[in-house]
Amino acid sequence: MKKYRFYFIILFLPSLLIGCVETNILDRVGLVTLVGYDVGKEERMATTSAVREVNPEFQSNVEVVTTENSTSKGNRVKTNRKLSKKVVVGQMRVVLFGEELAKDDIHRYIDAHLENPTVSNSLYMAVAEGEVAPLLEYEYQNIDDIGQHIFRLLEQNIEQENMISSTLHEVGRDLYSEGEDIFMPIIKREEELVELSGIAIFKNGKMVSSLRPEDTFYVKLIGGNYKSGTFETILTKEEIPDDLMKNKPDEIPIAFDALTSEKELKLINKNTPEFDLNITIKTRLTEIYPDVNIGDPKTVKKLEEAISKNLSREISRVIAYCQSVESDIFAFGDKYRSSVRNSKLTKEKWHELYKNMKVNVKVDLTILRSGVFE
Amino acid sequence: MKFPLPFSKSKHNKEKAPEETAAPRKDIGMMTPLKMDFVQLIKDATQDPSDLIVKDIPPNITLIYIDNLVNDQVLTDHVISNLQKKSVDTPDSIKAALSIPEINASTRLDVIVKSIVTGSVLIHMEGHSQVIMANIPKLESRSLSTPENESQVIGAQVGFNESLSTNISLIRRYIVSPDLCNEKFIVGRRTNISVALLYINGIANEQMVNTLRQRITDLDVDSLLDSAVLSEMIDDNSMSAFPQMLLTERPDRFCDGLINGKLGIVVDGSSMAIVCPQSFIEFFQSREDQNLRWQIATFSRLLRFTAILLSVFLTPIYVGALTFHYEVIPQAFLVPLSESRALVPFPPVFEALLLEFIIELLREAGARLPTKIGQTIGIVGGIVIGTAAVQAGITSNILLIFVALSALASFTTPSYMMGNVIRLIRFPIIILAGFWGFYGIMLAFCFILIHLLRQTSLGAPYLSPFYPPRLKGLANSIIRLPYPLTSKRPEVARPVDKEKYKPEPIKPENS
Repeated sequence: MKKYRFYFIILFLPSLLIGCVETNILDRVGLVTLVGYDVGKEERMATTSAVREVNPEFQSNVEVVTTENSTSKGNRVKTNRKLSKKVVVGQMRVVLFGEELAKDDIHRYIDAHLENPTVSNSLYMAVAEGEVAPLLEYEYQNIDDIGQHIFRLLEQNIEQENMISSTLHEVGRDLYSEGEDIFMPIIKREEELVELSGIAIFKNGKMVSSLRPEDTFYVKLIGGNYKSGTFETILTKEEIPDDLMKNKPDEIPIAFDALTSEKELKLINKNTPEFDLNITIKTRLTEIYPDVNIGDPKTVKKLEEAISKNLSREISRVIAYCQSVESDIFAFGDKYRSSVRNSKLTKEKWHELYKNMKVNVKVDLTILRSGVFE
Repeated sequence: MKFPLPFSKSKHNKEKAPEETAAPRKDIGMMTPLKMDFVQLIKDATQDPSDLIVKDIPPNITLIYIDNLVNDQVLTDHVISNLQKKSVDTPDSIKAALSIPEINASTRLDVIVKSIVTGSVLIHMEGHSQVIMANIPKLESRSLSTPENESQVIGAQVGFNESLSTNISLIRRYIVSPDLCNEKFIVGRRTNISVALLYINGIANEQMVNTLRQRITDLDVDSLLDSAVLSEMIDDNSMSAFPQMLLTERPDRFCDGLINGKLGIVVDGSSMAIVCPQSFIEFFQSREDQNLRWQIATFSRLLRFTAILLSVFLTPIYVGALTFHYEVIPQAFLVPLSESRALVPFPPVFEALLLEFIIELLREAGARLPTKIGQTIGIVGGIVIGTAAVQAGITSNILLIFVALSALASFTTPSYMMGNVIRLIRFPIIILAGFWGFYGIMLAFCFILIHLLRQTSLGAPYLSPFYPPRLKGLANSIIRLPYPLTSKRPEVARPVDKEKYKPEPIKPENS
């Protein structure tokens, strides 16, 4: 019996610890769904958070609270002072940075989020054009929950492969790997809507420039594999083959979908350095104007070559632009590091090499079919 | 190690049958040739009950019997009329004159008294000390009916009743074989209840038979009113909440066990028979699974396993997530969950315990009340209390769904005893989830798992075929394999004959 008494004591002792656990009862906390950081007017940091609170009247409302302090935790305390419910960050989905702040340094913000175990690693990060506070505080006519809305906006565009993905996990990984720079979507208010207006590109955690939203396609094409994307491009007069049609127009807009791509990156010269970038695309032609005789395999072949050439040119242009601002968002440095033994690559060293890097882009596009029509 | 049990298991075997062949001791009363002395002796030994009938048949024969215990028809037709017609002068000639199958003679009082309470007529002849005992019992039993607690759609619809002989005849109808062994024991110092141990010789493991036989004979209790009591007394760990022997009222389920090398116990006066050894997973298998096509049986088995998991963990997860881990709630659930709880004044653990308590209350009330009122209670509970509780803001409607779902799910267990345990273990898990969130759920889960790992059923591992792992058995436990793939009997009972049939390679059909 003595043995059992011992077990019972062991079993019941921990029940004394029940008061030591901090509870977060769902209906008694305010859930931060979105938080935005700006450079403060008086203090170092201004935080704007969208907090969802549940009212007893069976309605949930979203409070947008702006506070200023020198740390994000201090801002949370200040936010708490303005709200009836305890503010918790475990359901945070989006982190936004003001443009000015992004150009300063967002390194410490990413650190702060990575270090907090309650913060999900799959939250999306984005840069707001101008400041975050006005973007969130604006009273949109048709948007109830701005936090939820921006999250859905980012999520659906990323899932549709229309926008590059920048979760906390990915941003943290890119930030700390030697041969890669981070990039995020840019969002801005467009009258009564919120719009994705480009890609912010960073160098060492500082935003240096931005790309147009149309360039997302090329960035994604270089960066990884498409599974089912959509894109459009415009063939200029020089790129249109002479014998494609009789009356050659000035330009031909073309749209594709069901696009799958594979990329192959090879370091061919480690001194310059020089890369071979081969991209294989298989796609379906959905729109072309004016009409081209797609039934003719020869015409299709010519069209494919023309588009490949056009894509190569555009990809080279995007790479060249990023080189000019010294932001390697395509992870060429990672390839360099994994291909060169004992490269001892650091961010500084790579940015020096990156400026003069040469990339031979070769695109191989195949039009599998041209849509179905009656 | 075991707790000391409330009854002692003595080392000596109890006597198995009333006929004791040992030499009579001095304190045992012997019969006298005198009629008056004989009648007085029997009256003293049986406390002179009001239904004790003493009947003289001239010239010198005396009959003594207990009126409510003997079959009147047989008594008049075969005993009295024969004794009157035929001339008898010695006890042996009485034996010859009566056309009754079970007839004995003895001079020992204890044997005679035991015989009269089992429904014998004592026949005494003046001048002879030997008493003839003609066993003509009248056993009241209800007719066979469908099993109330273990109903199934496809399959036999007959259930055991309270008569031992009826039950054994039902079993013998399913297993027509000379190998079916039937050992009889008398258990209970005061009540002398017959217990039958059944197994199939050549399949059942002899060691297990010996173990079980010894457990039954070692029992030293004064009464045994039901097989459920017996199973709790003789199973491996009487202190565990988990039953280690299957109680069933279906003869087909019972025989299914015997065929797989298990041992069965039938207790007189009890409509439930015991099957052992039984592994944990087998409590969740229905006999009906064998009757349905294997795809459908597999589906309902998986459904049942899902139901058990839901039943045990759904409410605790709700409590844990809402109290501590709001991070894990999917975004689409956030608003409905928090809005439904907005009016509730209690913490989730209290809310959940309250609802579970109400559900258990309804179940208990439904089980105690007569059937017709039980239905009313079901409606009162389901509609009135449920809806009213939500509208009054005592509970959230999402939790109401969860609790109702887990209560419903717990009733899918094909064994009522196991279903009760499933419902019981939910409560500590809910409380632990309220204390420490998912960590508490994990603690409870580990505790239960370790407990189950330590259990045995007649020495066989309780968690088999999960641990020790038996891959073939595992597949056939979780899904119901088609018959061509199940040539081997389950390993639980360690059958002597391991194969049901010699497997042949399955030939693809020519289409």
